[in-house]
Amino acid sequence: MRGAVAKYERDNIDTDVIIPGQYLKVHDYDELATHAMEGLDPGFHKRGAKYVLAGRNFGCGSSREHAPIALSGSGIEAVLALSFARIFYRNAVDGAFLLPVEIEEEAYRSIPDGAEIEVDIDAGTVADHTSGRTHRIKPFPGIIAEIIRAGGIFNYRGDGAA
Amino acid sequence: MHEISREGSSSLLYVDRHLVHEVTSPQAFEGLRMASRGVRRPDLTLATMDHNVPTRGGLPMADDTSASQMRALERNCAEFGIRLYGMGSPGRGIVHVIGPQTGFTLPGCTIVCGDSHTSTHGAFGALAFGIGTSDVEHVLATQTVWLEKPRTLEVRVSGAPGPGATAKDVMLYVIRRLGAGGGAGHVIEYTGDAIRSMGMDGRMTVCNMSIEAGARAGLISPDGTTYEYLRGRPMAPGDYEAAVAGWRAGLHTDPGAEFDRLLEVDVAGLEPQVSWGTTPEMTCGISDMVPDPAEFAAGDPAREAAARRALEYMDLEPGTRIRDIAVDRVFIGSCTNARLSDLREAARALRGGRVAPGVRAMVVPGSEEVRLQAEEEGISGIFEGAGFEWRESGCSMCLGMNPDVLGDGERCASTSNRNFEGRQGAGGRTHLVSPAVAARAAVRGRFEAP
Repeated sequence: MRGAVAKYERDNIDTDVIIPGQYLKVHDYDELATHAMEGLDPGFHKRGAKYVLAGRNFGCGSSREHAPIALSGSGIEAVLALSFARIFYRNAVDGAFLLPVEIEEEAYRSIPDGAEIEVDIDAGTVADHTSGRTHRIKPFPGIIAEIIRAGGIFNYRGDGAA
Repeated sequence: MHEISREGSSSLLYVDRHLVHEVTSPQAFEGLRMASRGVRRPDLTLATMDHNVPTRGGLPMADDTSASQMRALERNCAEFGIRLYGMGSPGRGIVHVIGPQTGFTLPGCTIVCGDSHTSTHGAFGALAFGIGTSDVEHVLATQTVWLEKPRTLEVRVSGAPGPGATAKDVMLYVIRRLGAGGGAGHVIEYTGDAIRSMGMDGRMTVCNMSIEAGARAGLISPDGTTYEYLRGRPMAPGDYEAAVAGWRAGLHTDPGAEFDRLLEVDVAGLEPQVSWGTTPEMTCGISDMVPDPAEFAAGDPAREAAARRALEYMDLEPGTRIRDIAVDRVFIGSCTNARLSDLREAARALRGGRVAPGVRAMVVPGSEEVRLQAEEEGISGIFEGAGFEWRESGCSMCLGMNPDVLGDGERCASTSNRNFEGRQGAGGRTHLVSPAVAARAAVRGRFEAP
């Protein structure tokens, strides 16, 4: 998973800017993708980014699963943030739309917009190929790693044998 | 709460009550169909339409996609045997208003819904939290949900709020203290005399906005106020006294109960609160001025930048008195503040005044039952006589996905829960307030204490 970062140095990026309310009745995933991050960066889906990098409490607000779906549809494989709102986090994982990856302050500050990075879940790292630096990512808590490995909540059996 | 199994710090919980609405459910039902699964407990599932509905009788849907989302819910409920309060049904209303009003919401239950404001039901001593569509499908199919064990946060609220301050003001103040992400990873239990003295409508307002502090859920241990509210509700248990005895025995907060965190909030003399920014933590007292971003940030550069951006979006200057901010629109409604006592408070606060010239004001009751009660009591007449639009129930202008939206640049005094950029319509500017403050804003055209 190597790709470019779209960085937004903001805390509390809410679901209403990730996918504004008027699109909640759009069921076509490709169309949803064209509105990803529209409230913050209307040209987002054309950027070709694979990663979003943001501050604390990413995805706060609504329970709309359209948020990770729209991001995923526009090519995002993982959101790297200092922390996540819980419903967004579970939606991303349970629907297997994208990886919500918690990072440390140091990685948040150091990785610039547009950097070419690579997240390695097994190694627990994010490599910044532009600067040559590697940062630790926080491990997925509880059963989250297993749901991710299983490919979503419906493939997770809950007995540790994903 | 029924824990079926546990994996490390995560629990598989049995879901006692599942509420469904038209926006977060279509893909879940589609998923069931594709996997040839049924709904495990249709009897524990209750559906309604609220997000898309036009609130003016005879008004068309915002567009065809709204109509198709509503038709899909009708089809899905018919096919899977789920009770639906659809268009034209006297039971219809905002999902978090009808749960309590029917007695579907009960103390001690685990309640989920594909909606973040499911935390509302915590006011009854239920563990109630929002989930997304994948988990909605999981609950429909299995009646269970996986939850990472949350930490516990006691928010102890004490003192008597000042004149004109309500549960909404108390909660805005709590969020201001806690921060928009301050409750992350926690379930909040609200305790203290300021909570105990609230009626159920106020408690629901408080629990409703737990999510605005980032909490997984918020709850209040049930007491006599809770049991009196539920008595006689259509879905309340048949042997009600026995049920109450069980709740009394099992659902109180143990003396000396220990929480992972404690936040003590003194609301003695609290004045009405008004949000000035684009997250609910950006709130101040009605007699305050719009803060300077640097002062607000207290040394946190990210917070300062966020406040600057918020002021730019809101078109406000630091140092402006909140009382001098003029509004274009007033919205009294939403799952936060559209129950009967909210509407009574707002009607009282009008004090016979009329909607100011240039202001457009509307009241959207939380449910058809609330609407009919308000009409019987004469509350609707007070609003209409004052120049308000009196609407049918629905989510309305809380979220900008139905015909009720703010125009670009319009400023609104709103009793809803979120002041995010574009929340009430692209370019719209939201100030979160109580119903009473909203009513005064309608009459004066600017903010004024009730």
